[in-house]
Amino acid sequence: MFPPMYEADAAVELEGVTKRFGELIAVNELSIRVERGEIFGLLGPNGSGKTTTLNMILGLSAPTAGRIRVLGREMPKEQRSVRRMLGTVPQETALYEELSAEANLRFHAELFDVPRHGLESRITRLLELVQLQDRRRSPAGTFSGGMKRRLALARALLHEPDLLFLDEPTLGVDVHSRRALWDHVRDLRARGKTLLLTTNYLEEANTLCDRIAILDHGRLVVIDKPASLRQRFGDTVIEMGLDGKATPDLLLRLRALPGVAEAVQPDGVLRVSLEGGHSTAGAVVTLVAAELRLRSITQREPSLEEVFLSLTGTQLRD
Amino acid sequence: MSLRGDVRAVRAVMRKDIKVALTQRLLVGLGIVIPINFLLLFMLFAIGGGQAPTAVVMEDHGPLAQKFLTAMEGAHSFQITLMSAGQAQKEMSAGHIVAIITMPPSFDSDLSAGRPVELPVVVNNLQVDFTNDIRRAVPMTVTSFYAAAYPGQVTVRASEVDVQPSDTGYIPYLAVSVAVLGLLLAGILQGAQSAAKEHEAATVIELVLSPAAPWAIVAGKMLAALALNAVSGAVVLILVVVLVGAPPAHPVEVLGFALLLMTAFASLGIFVGNLVRRRQAAIPLALGTSLPLFFVSGPFGPINWLGQLNSVIAHVSPAYYGIAAFQHAFHGYQAAQTSLVEDAVVLCALAAVGLMAGATTLKPRSA
Repeated sequence: MFPPMYEADAAVELEGVTKRFGELIAVNELSIRVERGEIFGLLGPNGSGKTTTLNMILGLSAPTAGRIRVLGREMPKEQRSVRRMLGTVPQETALYEELSAEANLRFHAELFDVPRHGLESRITRLLELVQLQDRRRSPAGTFSGGMKRRLALARALLHEPDLLFLDEPTLGVDVHSRRALWDHVRDLRARGKTLLLTTNYLEEANTLCDRIAILDHGRLVVIDKPASLRQRFGDTVIEMGLDGKATPDLLLRLRALPGVAEAVQPDGVLRVSLEGGHSTAGAVVTLVAAELRLRSITQREPSLEEVFLSLTGTQLRD
Repeated sequence: MSLRGDVRAVRAVMRKDIKVALTQRLLVGLGIVIPINFLLLFMLFAIGGGQAPTAVVMEDHGPLAQKFLTAMEGAHSFQITLMSAGQAQKEMSAGHIVAIITMPPSFDSDLSAGRPVELPVVVNNLQVDFTNDIRRAVPMTVTSFYAAAYPGQVTVRASEVDVQPSDTGYIPYLAVSVAVLGLLLAGILQGAQSAAKEHEAATVIELVLSPAAPWAIVAGKMLAALALNAVSGAVVLILVVVLVGAPPAHPVEVLGFALLLMTAFASLGIFVGNLVRRRQAAIPLALGTSLPLFFVSGPFGPINWLGQLNSVIAHVSPAYYGIAAFQHAFHGYQAAQTSLVEDAVVLCALAAVGLMAGATTLKPRSA
């Protein structure tokens, strides 16, 4: 049996973790602590070091420097003792497309040494949970992207792990399936599971995560609650299509309004970031409309790119 | 995970690999056809290259001329067809025969009178190997003819003592070696494509993130390859026994070494598949590795007869031990310097090394 773990142990703990590939520093002095029972999001553009970090946490590669502990165990040294407690939904889903949904789950159960007693009902319950019971005997290769991700989630839950890793869980998934997956993720947290997910979508992180860490160039840019991050940039963005360019004076006056975090016009659209509710929105529109003719107005949440831009001062790379 | 859990993983991976392979019928078919194809190809090569097609024009049908014809038939170098001079010329022009040997009309009378006989031999020296066969075989026929026709005049004779109880034909010897090539190919192909597919489909992540030991996963894949290769292996061996007419001297040895060879080569294939990670690369690499290994391992005759250097090179190839063991299992003699136990130990060690190498290289690319 496994040696006992202490509840005081964090789910995941990274201390000064660095990963080099030759001259390239993929992850640089990264320190993160993921608490038990939380949904933690790892955000960043492509090439920011998210996947490398996740691979190190999973024990697939060793850090060049620093220390990683998962559920109290040193990685990658003690990885085999902890694997039974981890569930993973990889970006590629890693399903056997030739095998049926049920056969994929059965294979996973055998690999993870899930007790045979009660396995049948557990598989049925999980397939119902991810709404794939009616496709139980269909080959996974015939499934849509969303269905594959749901099946991969059911597979990751089959051995009842304490800690779940979801790598880009909704990448390429339609809106309906995305919402359904989010519901499952929230349900898992309610059942006491710890979830660590990587994503490119701020909306996803906003909706799901208790805390998020933004990485860029392998470095930790910020780690905070989504609400706190929004407040740093503003929680609402007003975009106004204008006939003409806003003068520097207008931009200054907009920035001077209470509740305006930023006002910029990088192209034909004037973007004004607001914080502390929508009460300032009316004043902003009035001020702009007095000088320029408005063609359109839209209001939305800040995008990852905007938060990223505000935090780092650089464009979000693709 | 406990050993019991690892054993469960071995069984699970084996069953899964067989299920997945059976959905890819083309690949399963190729795995069976390719080894059989090689066996037939080499047989055709051996049959075609063994004897030179030769026309004999009998312008004298006397008893001495008949004795000369018998001596030619006993030379094992000619594939003789009797024809008229015109027909032979036509066949030569059409490129169907290598040589025309004409028995002159005065063959018997000249010999009886002690006069020298000119034997016209026309050779199509297009290909030196066949040409030399004719050049060597005609004088040998003359000697044999004299020994038979004038026993008192030939005083030097070979007194042959056979080391083996019976002769082994070139084709049965080669067929047994080619059977090893069949098992080698089947094992490497199946192992390599099964491993490469895990990387292509990224399902390797499911395997490496499981608590099962990497050796258990590779062992499962080896057993699956063994089960899938059983069909092609059995067909190849049946062809050797039935088509070539080489019944095994020790059937249990044949079975044991066939299983050992397929296991060892499958493990090698898994290692290759893990390295290249693409079936498109794994399959030609498997073919490209198997053939040189086969050719340096003494498939056409005992390797020691080919010199010290060839012998040293052969010992590096696992096919050498397979061929040595199979020649013993089929023909009952030791064609190599190594004993059967040594052959078995080397092949077991290869399987173990392949298993470890496969387990070590079982990693997703991003890691």
